[in-house]
Amino acid sequence: MSFTGENVSSGMGLAENSKSTYLELQRMRAFRYVIFKIDEKKKEVVVEKTGDPSESYDDFTASLPEADCRYAVYDFDFVTSENCQKSKIFFIAWSPSVSRIRSKMLYATSKARFRRELEGIHYEIQATDPTEMDLEVIRERAR
Amino acid sequence: MPELAETYACVPSTERGRGILISGDPKSNKVLYTNGRSVIILDLINPLNVSIYGEHAYPATVARFSPNGEWIASADVSGTVRIWGAHNDHVLKKEFKVLSGRIDDLQWSPDGLRIVASGDGKGKSLVRAFMWDSGTNVGEFDGHSRRVLSCAFKPTRPFRIVTCGEDFLVNFYEGPPFKFKQSHRDHANFVNCVRFSPDGSKFITVSSDKKGIIFEGKSGEKIGELSSEDPHKGSIYAVSWSPDGKQVLTVSADKTAKVWDISEDGSGKLKKTLTCSGSGGVDDMLVGCLWQNDHLVTISLGGTISLFSASNLENSPLQLSGHMKNITSLAVLNSDPKCTLSSSYDGLIVKWVRGLGYSGKLQRKENSQIKCFAAAEKEIVTSGFDNKIWRVSFHGDQFGDGDSVDIGSQPKDLSLALLSPELALVTTDSGVVMLCGSKVVSTINLGFAVTASAVAPDGSEAVVGGQDGKLHIFCITGDTLKEEAVLEKHRGAITVIRYSPDFSMFASGDANREAIVWDRVSREVKLKNMLYHTARINCLAWSPNSSMVATGSLDTCVIIYEVDKPASSRITIKGAHLGGVYGLAFTDEDSVVSSGEDACVRVWKLTPQ
Repeated sequence: MSFTGENVSSGMGLAENSKSTYLELQRMRAFRYVIFKIDEKKKEVVVEKTGDPSESYDDFTASLPEADCRYAVYDFDFVTSENCQKSKIFFIAWSPSVSRIRSKMLYATSKARFRRELEGIHYEIQATDPTEMDLEVIRERAR
Repeated sequence: MPELAETYACVPSTERGRGILISGDPKSNKVLYTNGRSVIILDLINPLNVSIYGEHAYPATVARFSPNGEWIASADVSGTVRIWGAHNDHVLKKEFKVLSGRIDDLQWSPDGLRIVASGDGKGKSLVRAFMWDSGTNVGEFDGHSRRVLSCAFKPTRPFRIVTCGEDFLVNFYEGPPFKFKQSHRDHANFVNCVRFSPDGSKFITVSSDKKGIIFEGKSGEKIGELSSEDPHKGSIYAVSWSPDGKQVLTVSADKTAKVWDISEDGSGKLKKTLTCSGSGGVDDMLVGCLWQNDHLVTISLGGTISLFSASNLENSPLQLSGHMKNITSLAVLNSDPKCTLSSSYDGLIVKWVRGLGYSGKLQRKENSQIKCFAAAEKEIVTSGFDNKIWRVSFHGDQFGDGDSVDIGSQPKDLSLALLSPELALVTTDSGVVMLCGSKVVSTINLGFAVTASAVAPDGSEAVVGGQDGKLHIFCITGDTLKEEAVLEKHRGAITVIRYSPDFSMFASGDANREAIVWDRVSREVKLKNMLYHTARINCLAWSPNSSMVATGSLDTCVIIYEVDKPASSRITIKGAHLGGVYGLAFTDEDSVVSSGEDACVRVWKLTPQ
């Protein structure tokens, strides 16, 4: 049960795998991105796919389904105006408007619980179509 | 980022029964006028060199250069005056809410420190003079009871202000701080314009009673009139002094402009009458004038700007024109890619040539309004707000005779099969009508609300889009349509469909900001996620080699996608046209022509990435 003082929570558990995969990305930079899916039968958030550090942002967007929701964590590398190499971790709640209502509701209500488990996220983005998580948008947020 | 290659400017917006006031800067030879919410700075020597300021929130009425040429003060119908830099980026210096109603005229003082604005309002606030940088009032202006149409500031010391208006009065104020001195009621109708001579010794007022009266500049006493032999036969709308102060130019509703010699004692004698050739209708009434250096500029009700040479009054004038209203569609002729045809909803079709600018207006025998417009090699097909489709043949600059065909209900969209332009597909509220030449081949009721359509270049296939976002593909055999497939991907009413020139693809845009490119044979989506607009997509164009698609939208942007690359690698032109982009066409591989609500046509050059 998870009544935490917020309005709605759907009681999804977190698979052990999810948390450890996230920690690997954050501490050891083992992956460029991780995509999480809610497995309704087992009632928990599981890792669907991970991406190699060599993969690009386009590979990441290609791995997201067009008509279903997902959670994703992306490690964004960039160079600031003072010429420092920096890296920020983005949490992306991918909820396309073409997906089913049930899917959107499920992911929306489970998000808060899941987010709390992931420490060290710098920025969060909610994207309802591909234009909202365009590389330009990410770059603007990072600055 | 594409760069703006050329702008074909709009003409001043005019109103029947009223004059318009244009102004200029003698040093840089530019004229200023307004159209809609834009203020246009046009270079008289090179009309392609035009700069447009679009920051007013309400339709702009008048604009003036400051005496030192650095600033421009412009006013709009809400009573706001904006002062901005004349060069480069037009940075705003100050904005003042001056009157409670529209501002009709605006003048700078000769030292550039004060501005007087006159117009409409309630009670006391019909005229106000204020300091340009702080907005503090510099005088009390009572004496008028109705709209004040014009005001003038004496260009030499001692300063005087004269105002004139719809109450037939000419009021004279002394100052600063300006106080009422005297009033004249010599005119018998609206006094349209008042102007001081450049040396400040006299000022002249012109009125709808066809007379012009000359007054002494310092005391405000009447000294003379424009002579009554061969006077204007209609209301005089505007007046302008020559730079040496010895002549004036007046324009009138009788379609002529007259140059008068003003003698020292204040009487005016007619020197020359200038007429412009035109179709002879109401559109030739002259409503605005300006005498700048050697140029005499007159503006007609139809928006034609005529440039006469002051030293050579016999020469026929150079005529420039353009659109006054929203340009709803553009067409580029295959035979001559340098030439673009643009049509606006008031029925005007203008031809523009790359590098030259305005090339001519196409006179049609039937001057009805135009809603849809399509051009093929030798003819133009238009439809208006009645039930007729007009097909007019077209050679060079002239229109031949046109035929019309009545199709029974109002046409919503029109497309021509490019390779066999005899065949035209017209969509109406609930169905389509197929035309061959000027005959209706068949009328088919489709049963759903149709919003857009396109017919394939060879006439074998047609795509019809509906209000619900579904695309229906029909195969055309003879005079029947057979439905072959229904494509559902759009989430809003379809607004435009276009086939690619090589016939392998077609693209559709909808009211929900999305555009999709489909493969014609397999009917599969070829390029999707073209969702980068923020308002409905109004128009769509393919590049000649079918490699790029451009979409124009109500959000004023034009976005160009390459069919082979993902939609995110796009080129955006932000703010292409104030009010929305309504027409788009490619002239060659790397130039796009766009037109919009601001009545301008712009040519953009795409630099290859």
